[in-house]
Amino acid sequence: MMTSLAHPHTHSEHSAEHHAGWARWLYATNHKDIGTLYLWFAFAMFITGGVMALCIRAELFHPGMQYWQPEFFNQLTTLHGIIMVFGAIMPAFTGLANWMLPLMLGAPDMAFARMNNWSFWLLPPAAALLLISLFVPGGAPAGGWTLYPPLSAQAGMGMDLAIFSIHLLGLSSIMGSINIITTILNMRAPGMTMLKMPLFAWTSLVTAYLLIAVAPVLAGAVTMLLTDRHFGTHFFNAAGGGDPVLFQHIFWFFGHPEVYIMALPAFGIVSQIIPTFARKPLFGYVSMVYATCSIAILSFMVWGHHMFAVGMPATAQLFFMFLTMLIAVPTGVKVFNWIATMWQGSMTFETPMLFAIGFVCLFTVGGFSGLVLSIAPIDTQMQDTYYVVAHFHYVLVAGALFSLFAAVYYWLPKWTGFMYHEGRGKLHFWWSIVWFNVTFFPMHFLGLAGMPRRIPDYALQFTDFNAVASVGAFCFGLGQLLFFYNVIHTIRGGVGPAPDKPWEGGNTLEWEVASPAPHHTWESPPDIELVRRGLIAQAVEHEEEGDAR
Amino acid sequence: MESRVISMQQKNQRLALKLALAALLMFGFGYALSPFYAAFCQFLGIDRANASLTSAGAALRVEFDVNVAPEIPVTMQALDGVQVAHAGGQVRARFLLRNESDQTVYLRALPSFAPVRAAGLLQKLECFCFNAMSLAGNEQREVTVVLMVANQLPPEMGAATLSYSLQKIDPGQLRAM
Ligand code: HEM
Ligand SMILES: [Cu+2]
Repeated sequence: MMTSLAHPHTHSEHSAEHHAGWARWLYATNHKDIGTLYLWFAFAMFITGGVMALCIRAELFHPGMQYWQPEFFNQLTTLHGIIMVFGAIMPAFTGLANWMLPLMLGAPDMAFARMNNWSFWLLPPAAALLLISLFVPGGAPAGGWTLYPPLSAQAGMGMDLAIFSIHLLGLSSIMGSINIITTILNMRAPGMTMLKMPLFAWTSLVTAYLLIAVAPVLAGAVTMLLTDRHFGTHFFNAAGGGDPVLFQHIFWFFGHPEVYIMALPAFGIVSQIIPTFARKPLFGYVSMVYATCSIAILSFMVWGHHMFAVGMPATAQLFFMFLTMLIAVPTGVKVFNWIATMWQGSMTFETPMLFAIGFVCLFTVGGFSGLVLSIAPIDTQMQDTYYVVAHFHYVLVAGALFSLFAAVYYWLPKWTGFMYHEGRGKLHFWWSIVWFNVTFFPMHFLGLAGMPRRIPDYALQFTDFNAVASVGAFCFGLGQLLFFYNVIHTIRGGVGPAPDKPWEGGNTLEWEVASPAPHHTWESPPDIELVRRGLIAQAVEHEEEGDAR
Repeated sequence: MESRVISMQQKNQRLALKLALAALLMFGFGYALSPFYAAFCQFLGIDRANASLTSAGAALRVEFDVNVAPEIPVTMQALDGVQVAHAGGQVRARFLLRNESDQTVYLRALPSFAPVRAAGLLQKLECFCFNAMSLAGNEQREVTVVLMVANQLPPEMGAATLSYSLQKIDPGQLRAM
């Protein structure tokens, strides 16, 4: 019963979907194909942004100017940030949601298959616009990923390209979010109530809501910038009665929730993986849901902590400071629950679990440095130093990126039908975690010592730590080739065929379908008993003990 | 009420429409932040880009700033740190100098404008910086600068800063000047 449900009928000749070669991808409407597209796109962008990061780190290996003009250096940091955030991390999470949500919810596909195709195909032109901006007069935007005016208002046409690119990226995110929300709310298998969904579905849902709320605000901000630049409006132009600080308010009203858009899906992923490898239900499932929602709500009220240095009234500083600290509470609940899930579990340490544990440890470090920065008087000191760079890379690399690695290793057997090479997976993990820390930990000290961010040259006393960080970055980057190799090797057969349930503790619905997941799954919804059994084991055992057997 | 049977597809479309509408509203909300922000700042009295100072082209905010080279035992304080300049008018600002040591010091004040082109709009009629000066031990003295404001102020310049850097000179230079 359990596995046969996966392919009730073999859909060999489903006309519309059987384009050959490239047409299969161009016209893709199947959630698995689209998920795959998203993931490969995100990987390509990760490499592109990564190469830029290495160009930055190469310049910073020595004091003095070696390789780039300062203008180009600024373009590198700006594009690296934009590409990593909008090109790599966010599409990767959308790709995962596309691949896994229908499988985990027992739905045949995403709600809007054709719109799904559009959501994806907006991304490559957006990326192209960003990259083309490198070659136009004046070069790519160089005012940082935050695009603050007046710098961004004065920049060359590269800025316009970036603005259009952000429009496309925003549109793509909004369409993707509509799809995700509709799928989750309307297409769950019978018997799967909201409070019985896998946590990854919960975090995807909340993330999608966040995106619908804030992606349009960013679109508005850059549109105002565009009209200020070309059509004589004065939203941010002081000479016309506008205020550049207004841009910062609007940007961070988007920007702070954005950091949770990159963090919440990661929380969802590790909440699937840790119970699996601890062979225990997730501790405090319901509190995890509440914590997710409260983080999302609070995230709208703390944007000012990015602006402590603009000269806001002391009462406003206190307001933002205390609310920011408050977010540590639901986040702490989550970390506690993950640890409690592992507590006395029969744990094994396969690669996904290693990355998940690495995530919990390092994300906590990033959370603590964030707490330090939330203190307004300290932030005025640390603003725009490398301490901030260290902080957000602990959250984004060790948080978002590591959770993505965890997810790929976790679900790769389901995607490809083959097992990856465990030893190489572990090597990738240990290599990454060591060099990640070598790269970013010294940046805390650089920042505390006062090294500003976004500079191509620095004072001599910063030399040693910068050299260490650069070596770390190059080794970290090299390690990602191993990841690429691991994935390709698995696709080509890996160490052998994967069973339908490669992980002993995995119980959610995606493990009930065959490996590799066939093109069509859950054409008829899964049996209610199956839904129950999986979810009980995964998360809600304590609630269901009465009618569980 | 009789229950209406609607297909999954219709249900999905309705939800999608609502979500798209929410996105559109949030786009508008982004724009609404602009007037809201202006009103909020005005209410709190913290509007730094006040249109009355900048858009008419008739007024300019002038800020006075002082720096003292580290080796001199003298303090300098701008008594009228911020002034409003009206086209065609005058601006007068006072500074308090005080020698904290027992020895006489010989000084010169170097003025500089930011932005630089403000120098053309604010002409110094009278300034303590025209001459070198000496301050006897423990002496305290008030000095002034008087600026003549141009008849036409460009609308895009909201504020200008006149900054003085106090430097030590030796007595020989004082006599030579
Ligand atoms: C994995 C290797 C990575 C390395 C070695 C790296 C390195 C760097 C460096 C050197 C900077 C410039 C700091 C400065 O001068 O201000 C930077 C900025 C930044 N990075 Fe990364 N980064 C990496 C990955 C990521 C990832 C995965 C993200 C995910 C979102 C990310 C997001 C950002 C952002 C938002 C900025 C700020 C850009 C700006 O200042 O406008 N980075 N990174
Ligand atoms: Cu924030």
